[in-house]
Amino acid sequence: MKNPQKPLRETNKKVRPAGWQIVAVALFLFYMLLPIVSTYIFSVATRWDRTILPEGYTLEFYIRAFQTSYFIITLRNSLILSAATILVSLIVIVPTVYWVHTRLTGFKPLLDVLMILPFGIPTVVLALALVQVYNVPPLARSPILLIGAVVVYSMPFMYRPVSNAMQAIDALTLTEAGQSLGANVFQVLSKIIIPNILPGILSGSLLVFSTVFAEYTLTSLIVGAKFKTFPLLLVEYTRINGNIAAAFSVVSFTIAWLVSILILWVGTKGQNGATETIQAR
Amino acid sequence: MPLSKRKTGYTSDWVRLVPFLLFCLAFEVVPILFLIRGSIIDRNTSQLTIQHYLNLNHPLYLNSFLNSIKISGLTAIVGVIFGTFIGYAIYRWPSRRIQEILMTLSDVTTNFAGAPLAFAFVVILGMNGVITQFFLEYFQYELYPTFSIYSFSGLTLAYIYFQLPLMVLLILPAFAGIKQEWRESAQSLGANAFQFWRHIGVPVLMPSLIAGVTLLFANAFGAYATAYTLVEAKLSLVTLQIGYMIAGEVRKDPAIGMAMAVVSLIIMGLSIGIYQAATIRARRWSKS
Amino acid sequence: MAYLDLKNVTKSYSGVDVVHDFNLEIDKGSLVSFLGPSGCGKTTTLRMIAGFTKLDEGTILLDGEDITAVSPNCRDIGMVFQAYALFPNMTVRRNIAFGLLMKKMPKKESEKRVAHVLEMVRLQDAAERYPHQLSGGQQQRIALARALAVQPRVLLLDEPLSALDAEVRVVLRGEIRRIQSELAITTVYVTHDQEEALSISDKVVVMNRGVIEQIGTPEEIYRTPQTHFVATFIGTANQFFGKVSGGDAVICDHFTLLADDVKDFTDGQRVVVLVRPETIHVEPDQPKHDGWNIIPGEVETITFHGAVTRLGVNLHGQRVAADITVANTKPISLNQKIWLLFPPAACQVMAVDERS
Repeated sequence: MKNPQKPLRETNKKVRPAGWQIVAVALFLFYMLLPIVSTYIFSVATRWDRTILPEGYTLEFYIRAFQTSYFIITLRNSLILSAATILVSLIVIVPTVYWVHTRLTGFKPLLDVLMILPFGIPTVVLALALVQVYNVPPLARSPILLIGAVVVYSMPFMYRPVSNAMQAIDALTLTEAGQSLGANVFQVLSKIIIPNILPGILSGSLLVFSTVFAEYTLTSLIVGAKFKTFPLLLVEYTRINGNIAAAFSVVSFTIAWLVSILILWVGTKGQNGATETIQAR
Repeated sequence: MPLSKRKTGYTSDWVRLVPFLLFCLAFEVVPILFLIRGSIIDRNTSQLTIQHYLNLNHPLYLNSFLNSIKISGLTAIVGVIFGTFIGYAIYRWPSRRIQEILMTLSDVTTNFAGAPLAFAFVVILGMNGVITQFFLEYFQYELYPTFSIYSFSGLTLAYIYFQLPLMVLLILPAFAGIKQEWRESAQSLGANAFQFWRHIGVPVLMPSLIAGVTLLFANAFGAYATAYTLVEAKLSLVTLQIGYMIAGEVRKDPAIGMAMAVVSLIIMGLSIGIYQAATIRARRWSKS
Repeated sequence: MAYLDLKNVTKSYSGVDVVHDFNLEIDKGSLVSFLGPSGCGKTTTLRMIAGFTKLDEGTILLDGEDITAVSPNCRDIGMVFQAYALFPNMTVRRNIAFGLLMKKMPKKESEKRVAHVLEMVRLQDAAERYPHQLSGGQQQRIALARALAVQPRVLLLDEPLSALDAEVRVVLRGEIRRIQSELAITTVYVTHDQEEALSISDKVVVMNRGVIEQIGTPEEIYRTPQTHFVATFIGTANQFFGKVSGGDAVICDHFTLLADDVKDFTDGQRVVVLVRPETIHVEPDQPKHDGWNIIPGEVETITFHGAVTRLGVNLHGQRVAADITVANTKPISLNQKIWLLFPPAACQVMAVDERS
């Protein structure tokens, strides 16, 4: 019960931020944006090592970057890795989250611990452990092993949005309603639960995508040059040609921004969906 | 399906978690256990031994632990102090729209770790970077070689880049959890602003601040790609050392790598454990 | 002289008066409640007394001292919030001792005081617990104890029971009243629940749209509402709109009502006549009672309420509520033709409040 009478926020008190707030936020913005903006400018600068501002502007490095023989292959590999990870993640996590929210609520603490675990394992340690255990073909240093590693590493990113969405729809009641109308477990999942948690699944998938697309450590340490992804190409070029590396960095930053905007968009849609469901009840 | 069979279905419900548990076992639990086992078993004699841990007592490895702890601790503390300050500025910002934009920015930038970030810092603070040029032009001050982006100081700046927004994201809900009524109750009971922060505000924030220090510490301790791109061999860090051992660049006893990995697991586990406990406490308080 | 005195208090937000020219004198030791619908300005007024909201105009005197410009932490006023507002990082004991700590009271005395107020709210065993370990009702008792521990000059309660279950609400409001009268502490109680206000107050201030509609004892408020708003906001009242005719009657569309207090109105003035359901008698046969209002109607609904049964009676298209008790009336059935009977004294005539 909310007090409907709470006085309106004292609007006449604070209309503009205080000076120290402006300074703090401005410095924060400066720190956060300068490296990125500089990289964008560097990627189109002809020469920028003797002056404050670039001496000229060109698109040459983008043309050269996109013509690099590995560009398309690494991009493709990154997309394959992301897609495979999302797929495995969905298959493993969505049904599990569903069971834990309905029939097996007692397992929720265990699941929460298993989901925080990857944060406690440095990626290099995970890579070392996997490489040591699975050291015989066909698994040894294979893309399959990599996918397993990346799924573990990105699991929390899928788990949280899906779990929150599941929480918001009251999966147990919906399941019982569905069952009382004659639906079996499979029908309940495909026709009721999944459509209702779709925003959560989408944000989870996008989060996993942006994490995996930028993943460097596991890829380079587990498979290395055998399955080169985009971040590996980028690191390679930071040592070969700075301008082209800048162009690659811009590609990487831009994808990250786009995915974030998509997540935000899906997120607000999802929230609306959730409040609508609650209001409909 | 006969009714009796359906009933037994309930008792074995947990079977439905088997695929997930198997997956975790295969790619998370078993490899870690294997690692621990490898670190305490002598390869030749198959006997229990602590020799691998004793072998860590070597300047190279000690240094890497020291450096890792130093950079993680430093960037965690700097991140918590400035992140809290910036977080408070954002929290008190009167426009909801601006707050949302700044939160989204923090969300994106905290994930900008790795090679692109490292390269971006080379662009601004490298030998011929923008800021390096700026100092030279306007202050006639040569940043290099006192400062170098390829050193501890440079890496610190790069780490703070993703630590700061992480703290902002962590502390904002904590500020939002300080209810206006607490402030007003304290006031009506005779407390001034300073007394409110001393007795209620800071203690209520404390779990979140502790959670912040530990999470940021773990975040920096486990980082690899940024360090690999920037400092590579110029600075010894735990993650870099373990990386070399996997890549086989250093032909050393793999058991030393395992011992190193286990020690860093313990450090990380402690941090994440404290973080988790602090988060639970913070959440419990914000509920009441 | 009044202990707490509000003079011409006015507050507006973005040009709209939330509280307009509010004047009220509160006697020492009395419990006064502010009652009104949401947005009527009752909480804003309370917060101005507490000092959390600044006045645009007017003055507040407490025990003869002008406290209008005094900051909240120096006013010596206890406040209890709807959301309890206990400090989550402190045990119950430390919560209660907080105000005493601010006053730099010696430890021994402070401990005694804490024990005393805990006893008062009957939660002696909860001293070492944290707020999150207590139920809502318990938390609110502790919040009350915390406010009382400093022995404030005035106790302010802002919808203290709104977040609680119905049962706890009734028990706790009795407790609040008991403690208040034991300590004889001057208290202002804000609520939107009329039953709550009527049952615990010495005086009720009914507010609407930032102005006082009426100040009176609970009984006065209920029996002799001064305005159309008060009459309709408190309890249930049947409304008949009409025009004043002569010194004792109001002509409505289909019938004329005899009423006592029509003298204050001019002939032909539009007024509303309010009649409470419990003042109406119901007769199955046409009664004879000179000087009373007798109007025929048809029973449309019968709702059993326990002690009384409420009839919905169709009077020329208008639904009128009338309460009957089983003891006084012959059985009545649906669609039955009946007569409503009530004395002129039951009719309260007042100017029409066009807003409500």
